[in-house]
Amino acid sequence: MLQTLPAASTAVEAPRLPILQLVGVRKMFGGFAAVEGIDLDVREGEFLTIVGPSGSGKTTLLRMLAGMDTPSEGNITLRGELINDVPPNKRPTCLVFQSLALFPHKSVGENIAFALKVKGADAATRKKRALELMRIVRLPDNYHDKNVMKCSGGERQRVALARAFAYDPEVLFFDEPLSALDYKLKKALEKELKDLHRETGKTFIYITHSLEEAMVMSDRIGVMRAGRLVQVGTPEEIYGAPVDRFVSEFVGEVNTLKMKRVGQQWQGVDVPGTFTLGSPQNGAVLDEAFVVIRPEYMRFLAAGERADNQLKGTVYNEYSLGSRIQYQVRVGSKDAGEKVMLVELSRARALPPGASREVTIGWDAADAFTLGS
Amino acid sequence: MATSPALARKRTNALIWVWTVFVLVAVYLPILCGALASFNKSRYFGFPIKVYATEWWQKTLDSIEIGMLVRNSIAIALLVTVISVVIATFGALAFARYDWKGRRLYQKLIILPIFFPQPVLGLALLLGFNAVGIQTSWLTAVFAHLVWIVPVVTLVIAIQVYGFDASLEEAAYDLGCTRTQVFREVTLPLLWPGIWSGMLFAFLLSWSNFPLSLYTAGADSTIPKWLYAKMVAGYTPMVPALGTMATLGAATLLLGGGLVMLLLRRRQPA
Repeated sequence: MLQTLPAASTAVEAPRLPILQLVGVRKMFGGFAAVEGIDLDVREGEFLTIVGPSGSGKTTLLRMLAGMDTPSEGNITLRGELINDVPPNKRPTCLVFQSLALFPHKSVGENIAFALKVKGADAATRKKRALELMRIVRLPDNYHDKNVMKCSGGERQRVALARAFAYDPEVLFFDEPLSALDYKLKKALEKELKDLHRETGKTFIYITHSLEEAMVMSDRIGVMRAGRLVQVGTPEEIYGAPVDRFVSEFVGEVNTLKMKRVGQQWQGVDVPGTFTLGSPQNGAVLDEAFVVIRPEYMRFLAAGERADNQLKGTVYNEYSLGSRIQYQVRVGSKDAGEKVMLVELSRARALPPGASREVTIGWDAADAFTLGS
Repeated sequence: MATSPALARKRTNALIWVWTVFVLVAVYLPILCGALASFNKSRYFGFPIKVYATEWWQKTLDSIEIGMLVRNSIAIALLVTVISVVIATFGALAFARYDWKGRRLYQKLIILPIFFPQPVLGLALLLGFNAVGIQTSWLTAVFAHLVWIVPVVTLVIAIQVYGFDASLEEAAYDLGCTRTQVFREVTLPLLWPGIWSGMLFAFLLSWSNFPLSLYTAGADSTIPKWLYAKMVAGYTPMVPALGTMATLGAATLLLGGGLVMLLLRRRQPA
């Protein structure tokens, strides 16, 4: 995709100064490390998303960046200045809460202009700026005096966003603000958020447990697990070159097969057979490995067709995913080990209704990842 | 023979009505009787009333003694209201919002005075004042009322604190507020309904309190204390007259308070 958009690709690759830097950041709650060993450079103007399952420490990390928690160890610097202990009201950053935290006793306009009121701006200035921001987030002017609690879910998102912009922060943080919305609205707001990011040029740091959300919006994604940042990279890198099984499984459905080295060959542990593997990540020498194949890289082999690796099996389930079809194929045998593999094909290449469900599935070594853990 | 559903519903409705009327009569008839007794021309208490008159109301309003004790009651209630609301607002935040060591113990200890029998609490406080050599007066009564009323008001305001999202305060702080601004812009306006009900509770509970005042107000009298004293010795229809006035005063305050709440809610953006 990026190659076809030269302008965008130079923008992505141009060296940008880190606006936020985290070095060895750790947060202890009692004896428990909620966040540990975080090293991260956030580039000026980028849209960075931190994803991870609940309890992985992403909210704790965000709260430290916003100043609502202080790190137990390590340093957070903003444009080179140490901000570990700088309180939120003294930081040029602003957080959009998961609950949005709109002030229920204030109107839409009063909510948006809140930061200006705090700074002592007069009523006319506040109203003018509130209306400007309302146009930016696409709220109609007559909402200025509306009770914020009478706004719909999507409108509230916009109010929260405008309120954060009014503070004129250098970095905006988002704590899963879209999680409570229905699918369609969520998709629309994801796109709008991405547009706003481009239009305003601010640095956005977004956290979510939904990788789909992260893929759509982000320049870079950081994957968190058990308090650690496991991998940071572009959506392409995270999807196409996961560093371990956790990342590979988090980033969509996968087929994972355990292998062991016997001499120069790899033998299946879950299913019998000898397999051809690609070279492991970062050139490690392994005696045991996991081969991870995404369902869309699997195919059915016609008689006489070959692939680097192949397995015989039986289709026992098929699901329509709309434009794609997913097959569940049982491979191996009861005695030597059985495993369900997923094969995903575009509808155009689906198995014809009358075709035999006894199939041979295959994949090429170059399309799979070989991971040590 | 089975009753039809329509008939059963009718009977249920009738029973609900009977019960409601019974409760209302049981609650309000005594107050009405008191009011009627105050309009008796005769000096002595007795039904049926032969001649109605307003002269005891006039005498009550003219009495210098009663004027003094009404002023005492108002002064005590106002002071109790102000002090208890300030203590209870911060107490409620400590009670319901902030997590701190000893919070659970505090939550239990603060509620305990509500369940003390008030005469015992009054006596204990009187003994305490004597022990440290404090002369009892309406000011010591204020203290005694506070011991009992602060916990009540704390609970009333704590309910409001539980009902609001702590991230609102964090959001205000994040948008540049100082701690004071957070309190003024967010905490106080959102707690205001609870504080307002707490104020009404504080005033009315103090206004009608008898046992604590009896023990701890010393030579100063209050409305309930005077009503009791006159019932024991020296009854006049001024007793039901003042009693009715005190009840009307409380009712007016309550209605007025409700109205203010309503207006405050109306003032919110549409």
